[in-house]
Amino acid sequence: MTTGARHWRPHLAAERKVTHLVDARTLLDPRVLLVTGKGGVGKSTAAAALAIASVRTGRRTCLVEVEGRQTMRALFNTEPWDFDEREVRQDLFGLSIDPEASLAEYLAMFYGARRLSRLVVNSTAVEFATTAAPGIKDVLLIGKVKEMERRRDPDGRFVYDMIVVDAPPTGRILNFLRAPEATTELVRVGPIREQAQSLIDLLLDPNRLRLQLVTLLEEMPVAETAESAQALTELGVQLNPIIANRVLRPQADAATMKVLADGIAADTLQTVLAGSGFDDPASAHALRHLGEQHLRRLGLQDEMRAALHEGVDVPVFELPYLATRSFAENEVSLLADVISAAVS
Amino acid sequence: MSDANGGGAVVSGLVQARSRSLDDVVARRHVIVCTGAGGVGKTTTAAALAIEAARRGRRTIVLTIDPARRLAQSLGLSRLDTAPRPVPGVDGLDAMMLDMKRTFDEIVERHATSPDRVQRILDNRFYQQLSASLAGTQEYMAMEKLYDLDQTGRYDCIVIDTPPTRNALDFLDAPKRLTDFLEGRFLKMFLSPGIAAGRFATRAVGVGTGLFMRAASRVTGAVVLDDLAEFFQSFEGMYEGFKQRAQAVYHLLQRPDSAFVVVSSPEPPSLREASYFLRRLARDGMPTAGVVVNRVTVAPGGHVGAAPTAELMEAAAALNPDDDIERATAVLLELAIEARAIVGRQQQAIEAAFHGLTPPRLVEVPLAGGDVHDVDGLRWIADHLTGATAA
Repeated sequence: MTTGARHWRPHLAAERKVTHLVDARTLLDPRVLLVTGKGGVGKSTAAAALAIASVRTGRRTCLVEVEGRQTMRALFNTEPWDFDEREVRQDLFGLSIDPEASLAEYLAMFYGARRLSRLVVNSTAVEFATTAAPGIKDVLLIGKVKEMERRRDPDGRFVYDMIVVDAPPTGRILNFLRAPEATTELVRVGPIREQAQSLIDLLLDPNRLRLQLVTLLEEMPVAETAESAQALTELGVQLNPIIANRVLRPQADAATMKVLADGIAADTLQTVLAGSGFDDPASAHALRHLGEQHLRRLGLQDEMRAALHEGVDVPVFELPYLATRSFAENEVSLLADVISAAVS
Repeated sequence: MSDANGGGAVVSGLVQARSRSLDDVVARRHVIVCTGAGGVGKTTTAAALAIEAARRGRRTIVLTIDPARRLAQSLGLSRLDTAPRPVPGVDGLDAMMLDMKRTFDEIVERHATSPDRVQRILDNRFYQQLSASLAGTQEYMAMEKLYDLDQTGRYDCIVIDTPPTRNALDFLDAPKRLTDFLEGRFLKMFLSPGIAAGRFATRAVGVGTGLFMRAASRVTGAVVLDDLAEFFQSFEGMYEGFKQRAQAVYHLLQRPDSAFVVVSSPEPPSLREASYFLRRLARDGMPTAGVVVNRVTVAPGGHVGAAPTAELMEAAAALNPDDDIERATAVLLELAIEARAIVGRQQQAIEAAFHGLTPPRLVEVPLAGGDVHDVDGLRWIADHLTGATAA
């Protein structure tokens, strides 16, 4: 069991010569996508959009929530998600993984003894999993994802073509991914050790699983994304192209943007506006400010795009900022359009 | 419909909340806890409040868990630490970036009953995993550090931001979870004499325990249980202290001179979390000072900000596309229409989130040009938080 077993070791990752993907067409290639990003970058929205794009391109898909926040329930406007996989849209299944339910399932599977698993789950084991050994929770979560990835229907086909996981944020993702390895360090023999090792195998297999980083083209998210990308690569997991979310597009064609960049004199602007019924100086001032702000944001975004390309050796796939979005699912659907177009 | 500030009884609680700033909070409260979802600017808000408290002559410390690098640099923090450091250029302000593992080690060193025990704990494999991992430990360490800082009596004002856990509520739950655990069956099982003798399958430990232990050792191997038993046993004599300090912090947080500041972005997911947290604070009888919504889009001024949107659209359409200046002006009008749509959406989301909750204060900090990471930027935010910018 130990010979040939793979471990999280930087030198191994280097040996494997992690090759980076160049093309957005490969976005939906792996069977499991763990979507992560700094808080507030729209990680859950991106995960939902990837799942819908996956369905639209003919894949039977499961979207998995692991932190019990019920974000997807709000996005899809459904009943609360729980441990039952439910079809929330045609060919799209939703599941909220609960570590305690995973533990019960695992023990029931392993022992076939309901009496024991109920006893254990109801009391001490849960206390253990949640208090004494926090990593166990993560092992159980990844374990459930692996079970779904391996599951086959009666005629031998995989039940899911794609599993999109709204994974923990970048601040926690390393510990999340290291949990199986930490378990193998504590537990040297027995079924838990074997289970943990099989999870490490899943995490390190680029054909089965990849990490999907989501960022904004802003300073702090870009810095955190660059750090995470490096740490994840050192860990040996394969990265998908990074998704840059809410990317602002220039409001007009290049010629008009140049006019704005050159600046319109205050009195000129006021004269033009006077013809439109906005002849107050405050309006002219507000519009000039909006124009400058727009240009400044685009400029800042260009800098951050350059910083991202410099900091990360992974291609970047951009999703547009939708200023006029009104309903959450509408936004997700529009973003899914962009992804579907890119992969087909 | 585009009028985002529509009146009515529903909004009046918020109107009142909006009329108050965090000015008196900064001036008088002893402990200020900034909390909220990830990525909403908790640390920046905490740092800005601390700078302002120090400016008013209060001896202040800001305790932060995981600040962005440039913000840490501007606070004079180059690495994780367990001791306060003065912030360069700000009199009366210390800052500290918590090193989880070191803090836990120090607690063990200080409270373990003998030097031999200290070493046994530090060498234990479970301890090494637990103290280095993020989940659960961070909230507890932040608690212990808050207790320490309060006990020193050196600070008039202690500002702290909650750890970036999956759930901001974990911070409040830490004392109860710890107490439950210390009083629970699980720990007792490991501390029972049968376990200490390595005979957990015998009658000495009782039927239920024996059953669990047998099952657990089949799944994990007996060595793990021995490690775990040793881990828990080596903490013996320290449990009462853990419990007492956790309770003391919980009561410190409940005091009327403490303040919880719930931080959010103007986006629905973090607003939802903020409203959930307000409810939770109320349930625990915690002193909620108010809500800070960061990076809020400001409505354009003048007639372009007030006129019906249709009027702006008509004006933009009427301009001559063949004339450079007129075409550019039409784009500016489009930007105004878009900004107003964003303002309307954000204000609706804010009102929906806090409807019926009436936080005592609601402060909006406008979207700045770029990220804030220097002392000047923090002062700019502090001015907004304390209402110093109000016309």
